[in-house]
Amino acid sequence: MDTKWKNIKNVLSFTVFFLGVSLTLWNTSGLLQRMPNEMSLWTSGELFDNDYQQSWSFQNYISNRLEDFLSIAVNGCPEGWNYYDYYYNVGECTSDAIGEEEVILQRGIEVSEYSNVYEDFEVWEGNDWDGEWYYQWEDGYDDWGDWYDWYNGDIPKEPESMTEEQRQRLEQLEQRKEKIVAKYFAAIEGNLNLLYSISYDGELLYSNFDFPEADGSLQAPEGYNFLLYFDGEKVRIVKDGKEIDIYGDGYYRDDGRDWYVPGYRNFPVSGDMKNAIICMAAAEEPVLYTTGMDRNGGYRQQGNSLYWMRYNSMMEGKLLRWNMLWLAVGLALLFFSCFCRQGIREFAGGIARIQGKIWVECKVLLLLGILYLAIREYFASGYGYNIWWELAYAYDNNIVWAAKELGGMLLSFLGDLSSFWVGLFWVIYFTINDLKHNKKIWSHGVIAKCCRVASAKELKLTLSRRMAHRNAVLFAAIIVSGVVLLAGSASYVNEYRLWRYQGYNIWKIFLLCILVCSCLLLVVYLVSVKNMRAARDLEELSERIREICKGNYSGIYGGGTSEGNYSEPVTGSIDISSQNAAAKAGNIFGGGEAQCSDGTLERDNSGYFSGSELSGTLAQLENIRQGMADAVDEQMKSERMKVELIANVSHDLKTPLTSIISYVQFLKEEEGLPEHIQDYVKILDEKSQRLKNMVQDVFAVSKAASGELPMNMEKLDFGKLLRQTMADMDEEIQNSRVSFRTELPDDPVMIVADGQRMYRVFQNLFQNALKYSLDGSRVYVTLKADGNLAVASVKNTSHMELDEDTNFTERFVRGDRSRTDGGSGLGLSIAQSFTEACGGQFELEFNADLFIVSIFFQIAAESGEES
Amino acid sequence: MSECILVVDDDREIVKAISILLEGEGFQVLKAYDGLQALDVLSTHSVRLVLIDVMMPKMDGLSALMRIREKQNIPVIVLSAKSEDTDKVLGLSMGADDYVAKPYNPQELAARVKSQLRRYTCLGDIHAGSRIGEIRNGRLLYRTDEKMLYADGEPVKLTAKETGIIDLLMRNPGRVFPAEEIYRRVWEEDAFASENTVMVHIRRIREKLELNPKEPEYLKVVWGIGYKMEKH
Repeated sequence: MDTKWKNIKNVLSFTVFFLGVSLTLWNTSGLLQRMPNEMSLWTSGELFDNDYQQSWSFQNYISNRLEDFLSIAVNGCPEGWNYYDYYYNVGECTSDAIGEEEVILQRGIEVSEYSNVYEDFEVWEGNDWDGEWYYQWEDGYDDWGDWYDWYNGDIPKEPESMTEEQRQRLEQLEQRKEKIVAKYFAAIEGNLNLLYSISYDGELLYSNFDFPEADGSLQAPEGYNFLLYFDGEKVRIVKDGKEIDIYGDGYYRDDGRDWYVPGYRNFPVSGDMKNAIICMAAAEEPVLYTTGMDRNGGYRQQGNSLYWMRYNSMMEGKLLRWNMLWLAVGLALLFFSCFCRQGIREFAGGIARIQGKIWVECKVLLLLGILYLAIREYFASGYGYNIWWELAYAYDNNIVWAAKELGGMLLSFLGDLSSFWVGLFWVIYFTINDLKHNKKIWSHGVIAKCCRVASAKELKLTLSRRMAHRNAVLFAAIIVSGVVLLAGSASYVNEYRLWRYQGYNIWKIFLLCILVCSCLLLVVYLVSVKNMRAARDLEELSERIREICKGNYSGIYGGGTSEGNYSEPVTGSIDISSQNAAAKAGNIFGGGEAQCSDGTLERDNSGYFSGSELSGTLAQLENIRQGMADAVDEQMKSERMKVELIANVSHDLKTPLTSIISYVQFLKEEEGLPEHIQDYVKILDEKSQRLKNMVQDVFAVSKAASGELPMNMEKLDFGKLLRQTMADMDEEIQNSRVSFRTELPDDPVMIVADGQRMYRVFQNLFQNALKYSLDGSRVYVTLKADGNLAVASVKNTSHMELDEDTNFTERFVRGDRSRTDGGSGLGLSIAQSFTEACGGQFELEFNADLFIVSIFFQIAAESGEES
Repeated sequence: MSECILVVDDDREIVKAISILLEGEGFQVLKAYDGLQALDVLSTHSVRLVLIDVMMPKMDGLSALMRIREKQNIPVIVLSAKSEDTDKVLGLSMGADDYVAKPYNPQELAARVKSQLRRYTCLGDIHAGSRIGEIRNGRLLYRTDEKMLYADGEPVKLTAKETGIIDLLMRNPGRVFPAEEIYRRVWEEDAFASENTVMVHIRRIREKLELNPKEPEYLKVVWGIGYKMEKH
């Protein structure tokens, strides 16, 4: 329950964190994209008041229109007429579209583009695609160059000096101007969102609304809250009944805030314009004006820029508000997630565990794939389209379109540039998470597995084989790089040839390459031959070490002890004293082949080790081996001598002891001896018996310690052995002042040991317990089968203080140092020696007065026969 | 009866001690101090039993034993300070009838001498074929029909349970019986805590028939397995 709740908590924490980060990133990115260029923090309020007239695009639109109107008033044609000329020939309304496109591009807003494109489609549908439009366009384009040249060129101002042709041209030009102006106004006059009247020299030229007398009362008509009045000197703007100060300090600055209209000190009204009076009014809430087209059928939108401007601005504002709202939500979630960092960490750890199971190759591929997609997405969105569009275009695939339609929301969501940042963040986050939690992320993968398998296989080979493999790899690498070098140089030379670089002999380069490669190969070959030799030496060295570890101390090549494995007589080397190690090594390895030509290990005739780098090491090893062999020999000899000595001593002791015991016996049987003599005899009898026991024990223990005790190992029941021993000693136990408590399993516990010896072991232990236990205390004898180990233990409470520093299994050690009791002092020592001789383990511990002896034996398999 | 026993040892005190011991038992004792002397004595006297040490100057006991065996079939007891099993086996395989380790127990030595003499004189060759209803094992003889055990020809007094155990073991010499089985077959009850009871009986029987109950030769414990009658 607890862990379940904890899991839920972790999941919740991480979800909060995930949503918080995602929303914050997404909406920050969205805000940064949608934020108008001219917008700053203190003007962000504009976004929410829904006033499209505040926007710079509106300002731009109005100033462009004013410029056009002024130009028409003065020249009879819009400014840049030649540009408009072909353009208006193409289609009147497009100008609005173009104008709007400029606006949109300046604001850099995507969403409006769709509507713009949509609008364009509408416009084109309204026109006749195949008919007039195309030819008009073509005509316009052809003429344009001529007009332009002529207009900018030597057009005489006086009509008298004009040639006939020039006069005709001028006439044509005037006609053309009229035509353009007519088309211009035809395009905008139906658009009642923008009212205008243009007067020049007191004469009303064009107007789509009868403004009240432009007397400076500056009263906008109803439904229109923006009024611009140009009186020939200054531009005055009244918005919502208030006049706006557009000139400021009188200087125009191209910073996107000043109105681009004449009247500044550095942008004065030109002479011709002084007679023009222009009045413009913009609707507060523009509507969509559409007119039927009689000629072609269908409908045509009037220049509805203001409507779309307002529409886009509203949409924009809506999106920005959503962004801000979600940003706030994201930040709030992030804030909350600060309080459950523990849960996030644990959940991230869980994710990392899952990540840890994925092959690293998959991870890398996935990462690269995501990065590729994301980066494409990033650049693609810069061009105004996204990966889904691209996919759809690239494959013209119905499925993709269908998916796009179906996925609708999600896909446009994914297609957004913001998703790039969010995706990038999570990719980085999970990569770091993986790296942080999974220490060896490279070791879990296909390549790592292959490497491991390969290295495991390699380990099985001998050293020289491994070395050979490595050399082969080196060779292959050199050959491959040589070939690549050749191919590269060939292609390089080829290029030079294409450039007709004369006098360049490609064979020189080829030869150089081949020469360098061959040299390298030769060097590598020589080095690897040496390495192989060293590897073989190493193998031999390890072979020797293995031999020594196995306990074969005699020289492998017969260079060591006299009874070497080889029949060849050893001449020089063993006579040399061990002090002169180098000389010896030289003899053994250098002149060795004379002595060991029959060696099973291959050696050539030139003295295998004499030139090898390892000769020093081999000589030292030989020294160690020699020392070890000597030491082992020495020890064996001394051990043998010890046993012999003890055997002799005990034999020599026994003979006089026999006499002593015999005659003491006679003395004991003698009758009529005085009382005190009988006491003496009694003491003599006791001590001679003790001496006899001691001599036997000393002999036994020394034999056991030297490993010369003949053993009769058989399979027996440990429990029964203990019971029999206790039954055998029943009398002694009954007569003692301690009682025995036993805890022996009923099932047989089979071990392999020498029964007679183990009987001696427990006899000694029990005797010890009887002898040294506190009166009235209990001796605990237990046997337990613990796994495949049988443990028998004897516990008793000592009647005297146990000295922690005493090693009780040491020979002749007893608890009391006075040695006045009857034991030989060898009981525990014998017990230990015999146990170990039987393959068991003897452990002695004491805690305060508690004395514990534990004997461990391996439990024998049930099925095993007695052997 | 004044049978003649030859005691051979290079240690004169030991020879003297043994002769005192055996003369106390009523034997006539001849003495020799090395192998050659012993052979001399044997060639000139009629000796019923030889006690011989192993390690002696001039000729050691085992060589002398081989020489003796070339001519005579009298019982020979080897007396040696070498108490290892291997030494015993070596001595017995060389033709000795018994082996006593030094330092010996005087009573045991006397008992062994008597046992050997009795077997040699009364029963003749131990390898003589046994009659029906008789189980012979070394110095032991068990008559199955009358359920009587004889050691060196002397009847051994046993209780009913002891006889039951001997009956079981003598019929299966060399076979090892766990205590439970002995209990079940002799007591004819389910075995429970049988080890002690059986062991007590075994020890009592030993005291009656073994020459040295501390080092039994016939009724042996096979530690950790059970009990058996050693086959001789």
